Amino acid sequence: MFPRAKLLVFTALLAALAPADALWPQPRSIETGGTPLRLSGGFAITVAGSAPSDLHAAVQDAKSFISNDKLGRLVVGRGAVDVAAYSKAKTLSKLTLSLEKGATAHSITSEAQKAPEARDEAYTLTVPGDGSGATITANSTLGLYRGLTTFTQLFFYNEGTTYLLNAPVHIEDAPAYPYRGFMLDTARNYFPVSDIKRTLDAMSWVKINQFHWHVVDSQSFPLEVPGYPELSQKGAYSASSVYSPGDVADIISYAGARGIDVMLEIDTPGHTSVISKSHPEHVACPEATPWATYANEPPAGQLRLASEATTNFTAGLLAAAAKLSPSTLFSTGGDELNTNCYAADEETQASLNATGKTLEQALNTFTQVTHKALLDEGKTPVVWEEMVLVHNVTLNPETLVLVWISSDDVKAVAEAGFKLIHAASDYFYLDCGGGGWVGDFPDGNSWCDPFKTWQKSYSFDPVANLTDAEAKLVIGGQHLLWVEQSGPENLDPAVWPRAASSAELFWSGPGGNLSTALPRLHEVAYRMRQRGVQAISLQPEWCALRPGACDLTA
Amino acid sequence: MAFKVVELVLGLLLAVPVCGLWPIPRALQTGTTPLILSKDFKITAIRNPPSDLTGAISRTLGHISDDKLQRLVVGRASADEAAVQHAKQLPSLTLSLAEGAEVKSISEEAIKPLGTRSEEYVLHVPSDGSPATLSANSTLGLLRGLTTFEQLWYDLDGAATYTLEAPISITDAPAYPYRGFMLDTARNFFSVSDIERTLDAMSWAKMNQFHWHVVDSQSFPLQISGFTEVAAKGAYSSSMTFSPSDVQTIVTYAAERGIDVLAEIDTPGHTAIIYESHPEHVACFVSSPWTTFANEPPSGQLRFASPATTNFTTGLIAAAAKMFPSSMFSTGGDELNIPCYDADAETQQILNSTGQTLEQALSTFTQSTHGALATLGKTPVVWEEMVLEHNVTLANDTVVMVWISSANAAAVAEKNFRIVHGPSDYFYLDCGAGEWLGGDPLANSWCDPFKTWQKSYTFDPLANITESQQHLVMGGQQLLWTEQSGPENLDAIAWPRAASSAEVFWTGATLPDGTPRNVSSALPRLHDFRFRMVQRGIRAIPLQPLWCALRPGLCDLDS
Repeated sequence: MFPRAKLLVFTALLAALAPADALWPQPRSIETGGTPLRLSGGFAITVAGSAPSDLHAAVQDAKSFISNDKLGRLVVGRGAVDVAAYSKAKTLSKLTLSLEKGATAHSITSEAQKAPEARDEAYTLTVPGDGSGATITANSTLGLYRGLTTFTQLFFYNEGTTYLLNAPVHIEDAPAYPYRGFMLDTARNYFPVSDIKRTLDAMSWVKINQFHWHVVDSQSFPLEVPGYPELSQKGAYSASSVYSPGDVADIISYAGARGIDVMLEIDTPGHTSVISKSHPEHVACPEATPWATYANEPPAGQLRLASEATTNFTAGLLAAAAKLSPSTLFSTGGDELNTNCYAADEETQASLNATGKTLEQALNTFTQVTHKALLDEGKTPVVWEEMVLVHNVTLNPETLVLVWISSDDVKAVAEAGFKLIHAASDYFYLDCGGGGWVGDFPDGNSWCDPFKTWQKSYSFDPVANLTDAEAKLVIGGQHLLWVEQSGPENLDPAVWPRAASSAELFWSGPGGNLSTALPRLHEVAYRMRQRGVQAISLQPEWCALRPGACDLTA
Repeated sequence: MAFKVVELVLGLLLAVPVCGLWPIPRALQTGTTPLILSKDFKITAIRNPPSDLTGAISRTLGHISDDKLQRLVVGRASADEAAVQHAKQLPSLTLSLAEGAEVKSISEEAIKPLGTRSEEYVLHVPSDGSPATLSANSTLGLLRGLTTFEQLWYDLDGAATYTLEAPISITDAPAYPYRGFMLDTARNFFSVSDIERTLDAMSWAKMNQFHWHVVDSQSFPLQISGFTEVAAKGAYSSSMTFSPSDVQTIVTYAAERGIDVLAEIDTPGHTAIIYESHPEHVACFVSSPWTTFANEPPSGQLRFASPATTNFTTGLIAAAAKMFPSSMFSTGGDELNIPCYDADAETQQILNSTGQTLEQALSTFTQSTHGALATLGKTPVVWEEMVLEHNVTLANDTVVMVWISSANAAAVAEKNFRIVHGPSDYFYLDCGAGEWLGGDPLANSWCDPFKTWQKSYTFDPLANITESQQHLVMGGQQLLWTEQSGPENLDAIAWPRAASSAEVFWTGATLPDGTPRNVSSALPRLHDFRFRMVQRGIRAIPLQPLWCALRPGLCDLDS
């Protein structure tokens, strides 16, 4: 019957399109063969020479993923179609990790916590086709860790056999951009430490190396800052919705062992309403109404930036918070400053009158004092784009700028000469498209509609409209989750596998092909689910098993 | 300055109902007397209670002790400590059926035909410490009353379980007989436990109809006796099937919770996967480009012009319908693709030989499948196209689901068919989550934007329906198509949003005080309901920052 024959040809074509390697992010350079290999029952991973404890732990994790992923290859018939191919295959019994000659074995953690450009994440991975030992070599334990992460993604599973189909494999890999992040807001709604750790796990599987922790905001102040305990005592949602210094240290060390640096943000001088609960003297227009006049979302309330006392308080707070993380980066925020709030604040007006400063001049003073406190702690300040594009503030030239309002603003930040991190709402905001959350507004949509699909994010060009010199200012980018409508209940589904899209963009570089990326991204989601992250289905399983068949033009 | 703040807080307390019931009863009177549950609080059942009523009572006792919901106000439990300190104790709740009412199980009552289910109840909670009473005309009504009762209570940080609003007097009955939720288990598979969890959540909002879109073009997870090859070849895997005993488990679980299960075998479209076991019955299977032959991949539709296919489908539907005790069964009928049949030589040949048009053949096919349902005593349910786009003779009692647009309800009513509202522009839970087709980076979901709970809540079931047609409106439901859903985000997508229509169709247009239902007064109650859901194991999402949930009205657009 003709249609049937046509179908068979079609299926064969699809099988040929389906990549046998399903790595995410795609390595910069990869050569594969067509030889199947089975993993031997006694498969072992050894580390040459002395190894730090976090590398040993990473090896244990990798072994556990390899044996527990149990991913049936995403083709019609799943792993059963590979039985003939692997049943007589040679076995792989060993993977050896070794540092390049002359390299010193520091902990993954310490390598991960270096300044972004100083992190060495490159590695070389070889899996010979003849069953002899596989190797990963790198200049740093962080590179070895990235190689291990790649290695765990090489294998499929069927009825007791763990195998790959594409030996020999030779990979030489290193990230295109040094900053590949994910931002989580833990202030609009609270997330327990376990949620953050699970997120860090998922981040590490796609080689994301920066957790941007927007820890506090106007709604709640869950961070217990040494010397400032009253802020979280009065400002957290409850006594149990607090990150103690012990929790923070736990999160930082968990992240570090997974090759992730933790950049804390204390957003200032806006987004600080809840500080009024403990320090009413420092906050202008707290919970003023109508909120829409005084803030972009309720509750209104901003630090009295023109007040010397408030400036000193803030500088002290930031310095104390900065001491909580070994990261070289610390964000002081600086977005969405509302000038109506200060115009209506008698105390601010009195301060300005007394000093003869404009509000912008006062903001400049405030920023320089708070940033100096960070610089004194050895930190590089990080700010949202308004600090460069909207305000007249003198910033240290090393300051990193997060572009969030629009990807259209990238060019202007680059022209101002600042290093920048892509976080544009039109590509990377995970909350867009979830409907309006403000009450009494039945026709309200999210301000940044529509939803940003993984495809949209994936198609982002980090150097669009930039000159070659400006392009060098781009250090990477990230997806972001603002949590007005998120909590532990939908953290995973809102984030995964979508946030992996930017992970590949900034590791492998732009210009990736959506059609070949999708089957690999399906695999990421399946592995994540098996590893305990509730990543969503991007398509019906029918599509996931038939690469290309559900493309628009198929 | 400080004085002003106090004034503001007091003003809010007065303006906001303390009561967190969802759906809010039709008639409700509350007082201002605090009342706490006695430590040995008990619920007394009727004499010789059916086992599912006993089960419902023990679930209610469980919820009362485990919900541990501190009232959603600034300060939470501590705000109420003083008020509750000297409160009287409620020793018990006594259930009774109206005199002469026949004692049947909840399960039997729940699966009665639409319009004949007795869900009304009367609940009194006195403020003086005398027993509360719940009376109804059926065990199903008692279940609804128990569901209300368990929403009355707050937790004083473990020290007490209390209400601030005794005496409470409720006379309640649903405005509409059909209050549903639809789940598609074919685009992606869901386990029995996912469905049971969903049924739990539905019952807490007094929803009474689970519309199970069990199979579709992508997979056929339903094992049907006599037709086992269809799932054997068409399910995603042998473990991703619903066996007859799984179905029995689900149907029983639902009925005990007052929920009838309306199963759907969508025909003649949405059937591509039947090709895997019966290639002879399916036209244009995975024809390319799929956009010509179907609304989504894979294409493939039953050859309804073929007598053999008609007989096969009729047998299949009859066998499937026997698995479900419901008085209704849906044969689908949406999105029929004509080019598929134009290109199918076999269909064209049959039409030529019989001299029938495609529409005539469709009518023959539909009458055959619906005839089989009628023989089984089932009322057919169809999607709106069967009435609005095709020239098909349908039984007068056929129930029609409006899905394409809310604007189409009036046209269905004009044809004098009973209506279930499921319009995509108000009730589709998958809208707004982006395009799922590959190779299409700039596209959005076809039914953008996202339908918020507020949008759904403002749906008017009687819009453009004349008074004489109003009796045709059976109710409505929110629907989850699962191209981008699985067990991972089922709860987060469905809850608490799907509870929005549950109140629309239970409470009707007006609040107990006679004022129009409105999103402002609903939101605090919906927050309350969501917190209870989370505590009971449903991953319902926060609708707002907790800051807002604790401060009713302060995060409204104009506050």
